Amino acid sequence: MSPWLALAIWLLVVATIIPVMGMAIGYAEMKISAHMQSRIGPYFAGGRFGWAQLIADGVKFFQKEDLVPDNADRPVFKMAPVLVMVGTVGLFVVIPFGPGLTPQNLDLGIFYALAISSIGTIGVLMAGWSSGNKYSLIGGLRAAGQLIAYELPLVLAVVGVVILAGTMSLDGIVQAQISWFSEAGWAWGMPFVIVQAVGLGVFFIASLAELSRIPFDMPIAESELVMGYLTEYSGFRFLFFFLAEFANMFTLSAIAATLFLGGYWVPGVPDSILQFVGPLVLLGKIALFVFVSIWLRWTFPRFREDQLQTLAWKWLVPISLANIIVTGILKVVI
Amino acid sequence: MGEELEMTVAPDMVRNLAGAAVSVELETPDMTLNIGPQHPSTHGVLRLVAKVDGERAFDVQPVIGYMHRGYEKLSEVRTYPQITALINRIDWVSGYANEIPFIVAAERLMGVEPPERAQFIRLILTEMARISSHLVFQASYPLELGAATPLFFALRDRERVLDLIEMVTGGRFHPNFNRIGGVKPAVGAGPTTRKTIQDLPAGFLAETRDAMDRVLSTADQLEDLVAGNEIVLARTKGIGILPPEVAIAYGVSGPNLRASGVGFDLRNVSDYLPYHLFDFQVPVGEAGDCWDRWWVRLEEIRQSASIVRQAVDSIPSGPLQAKVPRIIKVPAGEIYVRAENPKGEMGYYVVSDGGLGPYRLKIRSASFSNISILRWALEGTLVPDIIAIMGSLDFVLGDVDR
Amino acid sequence: MTLSPSDAEMTDADGAGEGNSLVDRAADAVGGVALEALETAKVGVSADRWTQTLRIARDDLGLGFFSWLSAIHWTNDPQVGDSLSQEVTERFELLCAVSDVTSGELVVFSTDLEATAPTVDSLIEIYPGADWHEREAREMFGITFVGHPCPENLYLPNEFAGNPLLKSFPLLSREVKPWPGDVDVEEMPAVGGGT
Repeated sequence: MSPWLALAIWLLVVATIIPVMGMAIGYAEMKISAHMQSRIGPYFAGGRFGWAQLIADGVKFFQKEDLVPDNADRPVFKMAPVLVMVGTVGLFVVIPFGPGLTPQNLDLGIFYALAISSIGTIGVLMAGWSSGNKYSLIGGLRAAGQLIAYELPLVLAVVGVVILAGTMSLDGIVQAQISWFSEAGWAWGMPFVIVQAVGLGVFFIASLAELSRIPFDMPIAESELVMGYLTEYSGFRFLFFFLAEFANMFTLSAIAATLFLGGYWVPGVPDSILQFVGPLVLLGKIALFVFVSIWLRWTFPRFREDQLQTLAWKWLVPISLANIIVTGILKVVI
Repeated sequence: MGEELEMTVAPDMVRNLAGAAVSVELETPDMTLNIGPQHPSTHGVLRLVAKVDGERAFDVQPVIGYMHRGYEKLSEVRTYPQITALINRIDWVSGYANEIPFIVAAERLMGVEPPERAQFIRLILTEMARISSHLVFQASYPLELGAATPLFFALRDRERVLDLIEMVTGGRFHPNFNRIGGVKPAVGAGPTTRKTIQDLPAGFLAETRDAMDRVLSTADQLEDLVAGNEIVLARTKGIGILPPEVAIAYGVSGPNLRASGVGFDLRNVSDYLPYHLFDFQVPVGEAGDCWDRWWVRLEEIRQSASIVRQAVDSIPSGPLQAKVPRIIKVPAGEIYVRAENPKGEMGYYVVSDGGLGPYRLKIRSASFSNISILRWALEGTLVPDIIAIMGSLDFVLGDVDR
Repeated sequence: MTLSPSDAEMTDADGAGEGNSLVDRAADAVGGVALEALETAKVGVSADRWTQTLRIARDDLGLGFFSWLSAIHWTNDPQVGDSLSQEVTERFELLCAVSDVTSGELVVFSTDLEATAPTVDSLIEIYPGADWHEREAREMFGITFVGHPCPENLYLPNEFAGNPLLKSFPLLSREVKPWPGDVDVEEMPAVGGGT
């Protein structure tokens, strides 16, 4: 197979997966929140269960006028959603969907993933600055402050896993979980969550903050800042942000599942079968994380900016540092 | 927000930022943030002109008047029965409760005493209006803090209460149900000839009992959902403290005043409705912060539900309307009648000259005084706290501007 | 100066029974006269003693709760509404209601201001809550409050000419379309009927 053909196939896969996953998560959010609030949620679109609601929404967004405010910085304003999307798409490159089903198995996989996910921040900052709107500006600055604060615990939480696995490759981390304890005569491996529960907690909280979801949605904060950095966006540019949020949920959940829950792997299933069920297993684990974040989203109000910073610097960072130390000691002892 | 960035430079301003005194030497322009009149959480058309320095606001000027409808002027050319239709629209979240003090003022001027059953019906509906108003607060306040779910629980039961109000009065928001000397007989409860004695719709009392049980269980649900929420506590405890002496001097009334520790409730003081027959408590806060204002309103829902149940159980039978002349002419005189509305003290100063309408009607509405404290309360707060404090005062712009 | 008291019986009301004593006590304390306003305690004072009166009310009578402040435009020639049944001297009556949050007593203080260029001292030093009420009265009646820090319109644009609550200010909707219109509701019976 020529490399160009392979590239085209991967591109096609990614280009399908992102909107489909975005829509699936969006639909799940609508339905789950509805059931939490004694509502029904989407009902009519598509005939049954409102399954086509998100498609209808997407079509609606494409029909809307693409408005750019007069005093916006036009090129920056137009580029921002694209940049946000780039950060999301880039993440798909390193996620292992099954044995040998990693689009690109980088040696520095997790390092790359954390780095590329921060690009979205620049997009958000650009959106906030270029809109020519005070609400957007405050929202963009809040986003910047928030993402700087939570990038650190996010990285530190991963360090524990990297110490245990001895590799930064995401596929390598899954393999490490498969073979973990095997030299001690254990039949199957174990997911790292067993000793990295604290790391998972910090990673999950920090990734919620990265996603700007309630309780960390100060950059949007519709009751204060109208829509924050999204205030001036409409039509398909808004759709880009919208999809990027849900796709980002998907990828960050995938990384969390890979790092802490063993990714595509289930105990006792041979590789030959995992080749096919691996992606489904991963999807199941992603769904777990997505559900929890939707659950939190509709239960909590949002933090205040200073409380959020306090949580990051005074709690999450020290906890993850302690976690690294404990993990290091464990690694030596075991 | 369409306007351009408007920068005012305060070169040698020394400001206290989060406890640390920062001397501003560089040219750091302050940003004027215009919150409203169209904004998701200004409850209508309140406008706040806030000077902000980053996240901190240091001069927040409320601007009102976007909904001034001139009811005091309009009242001067209307007859007394026509005015009740106007004043329904002052605080539309509890439209029914607005009518009571005005009707009572007119009755006192005329020397008419409404029958006991009519007074009980008024009391039941007033307390229902209070429940529905406080449920709206319970719905909107967490939303302003960012939590959407309590909205649906609260509005679900508010709907039941509004259905009951509609059942009796025919109107959900603007019942216009009171008549001088009693209440208007229920819609659809019989042929609408004047001679037929009409009464509460069949099944109303039983359904009310049922609805109050549901309201009480919803109040428990809301308490579980909101009061047990760490982030809610972090966002509201110790935020927006109104000391009692300041609240009193500004004329802040109702739940906002009681949250500051002043147990002043006009239901116990004024006798516009027979509240003395019922057993209820006046919840009083301690700190006067946003959390207390939330808690007082939740507790008042429970107390009101209890009052409604007692009233439903003990409602006397009898006529709904006292004998009044066909054409209402109110004898000359002046009177001020105030009532404990869901938002606070609502009063009408009626000056009558013996005509069909008042010579002058002064409307004292609660929200007007309640939000006049905003400038004091918002000095030096953070932008998210502006919304938290503003929302906790529970105002309605119709009640502010009249 | 007040309208003739109605013959309506005194109903139980705020401070029933001691309503009279409250009004007398307040009138004695501030050196004013008790005025007739049914169950409402109303005390009249002269305009030059306005701030002094309210200071006594707050400090000595314990009436610390600022309820409201407004005015009445007494005139024999109103453009809106019915004319008065008796002749009055054209003037403004300024009203200020303050109450006590422990006993629930409420006293309405009243003072007369001259019809042309009414001026009175601001209460904002005594009751900060008077701020918006005075701005409202200034806007609606044209009363000047000396010492008010922000004498600007509260509701209407600052360019707006006229004071809407003056009896001489016409109500435009009634000018355009008089009330009642051509067709009124059913005929009223000649003599008062029952319910």
